[in-house]
Amino acid sequence: MAARHKSVETKFMEDRSHVLESLKRLDRRSFLKVAGAAAGAVLAKGLMPPHSFQLVEVANAAVTKSFETQGESGNRPFRFAYLSDSHLYERTINQRFIRGAVKAVEDINALDPQPDFVLFGGDLAQLGRRAELEMGRQILAELKAPVKMMVGEHDWFLDLGESWQDLFGPPNYSFDWKGVHFVTLMSVHEKDFWTARHMTPEERMNTVAGLDNPIQSRFEVGTAEREWLKKDLAKVSPSTPLVIFSHSPLYKYYRNWNFWTEDADQVQAILKPYRHVTVIHGHTHQMLFNQIGNISFYGMLSTAWPWPYAPTGLPALTVQMNRADPFDQLDGLGDGNLQVRADGLVDKVYNLWDRNPISVKADYLTSHGKIDRPPAPQFASY
Amino acid sequence: MHPNRLLSILTLSAAAIIGLAFTIPFHARAQQSTVPQSVPTSSEQVVHHNVPASTDGGTVIMLCDGKTSIEVKGLKAGEPMSHAQAIAVTHELMDKWRRENPGEKWEMAQENQPESAASAAANAPVSAAHSAKSPPPTRKIQQGDTYASFTDRDYKIWQTETDKFVAEGKTIFHSSKLLGSTIGVSCDMCHPDAANTHPETYPKYQVQLQRVALLRDMIDWCIENPVKGKTLSPDDEKLRALEAYILAQRKGVPLDYGKH
Amino acid sequence: MARSKLILWGVVTLAIFAFSSRALAQANQPLAQPKSTNQVGFPTDLYHWVIPPDNPLTPAKVSLGKELFFDSRLSADDKESCSTCHDPQKGFTDQLPTSMGIHAQFGQRNAPSVLNAMFNTLQFWDGRAPTLEAQIQGPITNPIEMGMASMDAEVAKLRAIPEYAADFQKAFGGQITFHDIERAIASYERTQVAFDSPFDRFLAGDQKAISDQAKRGWALYNGQGRCMSCHGVNPTQPLFTDFKFHNIGVSAHKSDFVPLARKALALLSQKGGLQEIDRLAIQTDMSGLGRFLVTKQPHDIGGFRTMGLRNLLVTEPYFHDGSQATLWDVIDHYNKGGVQNPYLDGGIVPLGLSESQEDDLVAFLATLTSPEYTKQAQKEYQEQFKRSRTDRPQRDEAAAMGLSGRNGPGFSGPFGDIGPGEAAMRENPADLGGRPVDSLK
Repeated sequence: MAARHKSVETKFMEDRSHVLESLKRLDRRSFLKVAGAAAGAVLAKGLMPPHSFQLVEVANAAVTKSFETQGESGNRPFRFAYLSDSHLYERTINQRFIRGAVKAVEDINALDPQPDFVLFGGDLAQLGRRAELEMGRQILAELKAPVKMMVGEHDWFLDLGESWQDLFGPPNYSFDWKGVHFVTLMSVHEKDFWTARHMTPEERMNTVAGLDNPIQSRFEVGTAEREWLKKDLAKVSPSTPLVIFSHSPLYKYYRNWNFWTEDADQVQAILKPYRHVTVIHGHTHQMLFNQIGNISFYGMLSTAWPWPYAPTGLPALTVQMNRADPFDQLDGLGDGNLQVRADGLVDKVYNLWDRNPISVKADYLTSHGKIDRPPAPQFASY
Repeated sequence: MHPNRLLSILTLSAAAIIGLAFTIPFHARAQQSTVPQSVPTSSEQVVHHNVPASTDGGTVIMLCDGKTSIEVKGLKAGEPMSHAQAIAVTHELMDKWRRENPGEKWEMAQENQPESAASAAANAPVSAAHSAKSPPPTRKIQQGDTYASFTDRDYKIWQTETDKFVAEGKTIFHSSKLLGSTIGVSCDMCHPDAANTHPETYPKYQVQLQRVALLRDMIDWCIENPVKGKTLSPDDEKLRALEAYILAQRKGVPLDYGKH
Repeated sequence: MARSKLILWGVVTLAIFAFSSRALAQANQPLAQPKSTNQVGFPTDLYHWVIPPDNPLTPAKVSLGKELFFDSRLSADDKESCSTCHDPQKGFTDQLPTSMGIHAQFGQRNAPSVLNAMFNTLQFWDGRAPTLEAQIQGPITNPIEMGMASMDAEVAKLRAIPEYAADFQKAFGGQITFHDIERAIASYERTQVAFDSPFDRFLAGDQKAISDQAKRGWALYNGQGRCMSCHGVNPTQPLFTDFKFHNIGVSAHKSDFVPLARKALALLSQKGGLQEIDRLAIQTDMSGLGRFLVTKQPHDIGGFRTMGLRNLLVTEPYFHDGSQATLWDVIDHYNKGGVQNPYLDGGIVPLGLSESQEDDLVAFLATLTSPEYTKQAQKEYQEQFKRSRTDRPQRDEAAAMGLSGRNGPGFSGPFGDIGPGEAAMRENPADLGGRPVDSLK
């Protein structure tokens, strides 16, 4: 009897400790690759890492039809994935958030076919430390698809972006892909609240890191970057679909928590001439969507913790996600993917871990909720 | 009107009104220096009547309408009236008032007398945050020298102590260190401004505990589980302060126990 | 008991051949009789909510159901009855890791107890049947359990047995149908309720009903052990389960989930239905996918129903594959945070339980024994206790205490671990950045 138990477990443990022992001799990147492949025994047999099997096809089935709709421009539809708001502490402190980020990387690597690229939605680090950012970069380096980086306030306010820019380059940039113009903004600028208070960089960081800390100022894209955006878009025709990446929501949801962009109106005005604009934003850690004029907005899920819905200002179109159960450290978290249709509109799959995924179609937003309403939560916020 | 009540009115007008006449102005000034909105206080509402002087060395007694008075002949100042004499005086006073105010009822007349303090208070801009600092500013307030007699200063003391306790809770709520988290997690990371803590729904069945819980039970559960710290005993100051902050954030929300 | 398990497992076939009247003898045992609902801790409210209105209990149905339950003629070779795997003497289980059916074939799943099964929201380890009634066709028609070709074949077979005609007539007022077979057996199963344990008396106010050690275990059950959140219990619902499905990693070290899930999906898309799911669950290596076979949702991969804990000393071995022999092994499994896999439930984390705390928890679990099983349970407890002093295949002290990466002996904190890292034990991470709150107003 004992032998039976021991054989399974001992074999597993032996395989695993063999792998883990050998890790000590590897560089950190390889180490990550191994550890991310959760079932060590399989790895030890020299098989392919068992990337998590993600059945997004189930959720995608709902959007496939619109996904295949051919646009007038004849653009090819494509898919990109995201993970966001990983809020990594250093490995020695908290591994829960690391696990979330790694899980998202596994999810995305398991997509078949692979997405064209992966957006990281900002707040890679929790306290803006170089070590946190470097570890984040290692985790993201495991993604098979190319990564597009966006900065969040947790990445920025310790050294005002020095480390982040050193590791990932300029925070705002644009690119074109399959007929769509993409713009990544740095939308978490804050007015200087720290100098007059003689704050240390750590104090400044900690202030910004507190969502409900009233000392900090509101997020903004800022005059300079708005000018840059205008200039960038000058060469883009109004019929070209636009997709904007922004860490803060580019509209005014709830001021106290910086679910808010102070100059959102000016930015929206710049985007107004374009026929189809989709804004993908982080920061809010929840299922969140909105439609303002020609602009569709999607909030991204976090891989670290969910935020509750704000007491006021929730867009009427948003269908809330279920309240998360704190017993389950993964509940309310997740990643997702976005399907850019041939006509330039974007459908979105919220891949909620430990729950069924939820797809939100662009038509739901552009029809202002008249069609394709996503399923309602059993427990909305209090 | 019952004779006894009238008697007390007489006593008030004869003695108390005069006795307060000197102190009122000072008191009112002191109030105004600290309460800019000049919310009327109970002390200000005591009306000072000018009782006419006696014409023949007796005692003038005024009804508390501030107008009607009679002179009790032969009664020296400070001299007590007999019970029968007092009854007779009250009757005489009221008869005079009735003659001078034909068709009016005494109670109504009394209410119409000075400018209504209550309505003035209702129109005064009192901020929600400070509403607890002042008593309901109505004339009809019961007073005593020792018990249930509190001034604006008392209210400020109470509020300051309460706010301190709540602020203490807020600090703990936002500090993974004070919470004893071993993984750098604090309450506000999932509950900014204590959102989604729904203290108004307790007692309620809490699925993580699989039983009916009070708010403090759930706070403790969160400290032990997502925060990864050590649970606090129910009388721990930290737990009490956390509870205070969470409740304070939901001021005004109706109690709704058992809600899910 | 645990030691003799292997032998039992091996020779049980012979035993069945040798004693053809075994089923009848089983039926006459006191443990097989319908139970009184007059037990301490009996959930009266819940009981009334879960009896289906279209199949109320009647003495005739219960009696017929009992006959059927113990009748091996329900199987294709007249050798397996329901009681073969759900033996009242063994807490209505077979005390085998996985069950043995027709022609000595072993399935992939551990036989769950019939005791209190009436309270389950869904039946089977993966919830593939919604009710006791709907569950019954599974084992009867499974080719390696009772082996009947179909439900119709079962009806035809029973119609040829004269005594059943009258019994069905009496219970249901008609000819034998499969629907009524289901209703009769389910009715009998609904009389198998087991409460009245020392812990029930403790909850009812008798402080002396359980030992101090068991009381410490009860505290751990509610606190550090995190048991309560899934194995929920209260006087209205005293079943020690949330009736939900969780991946705790039991099948993770035997199953390579991703290819298995793809394979299962391909098969299920060709041919769906309860019977195909039943086949995959009982007869194939896809069994380890658990709830996924039913819902086809990735988060249900490797998820199995939370089992109730009553009388668990007589229903060993444990988990859906019977892979753990003792309660110490089970707790060791949870203590180290389960077995890491991509679909591990987010609620499964290292618990940091010490040896003596584990002993306390087992002492508590032992108080969930109903009076009719006291003696058996005591004997099993002694055997498991003895074994646990020397043989602890699941124990991983370092992982449990968060002193190393989970499941990684000698290795400090690999990614993927959700427990606290080594440094968290030395240094409070909060020291790295206390938030200024009031000081900066």
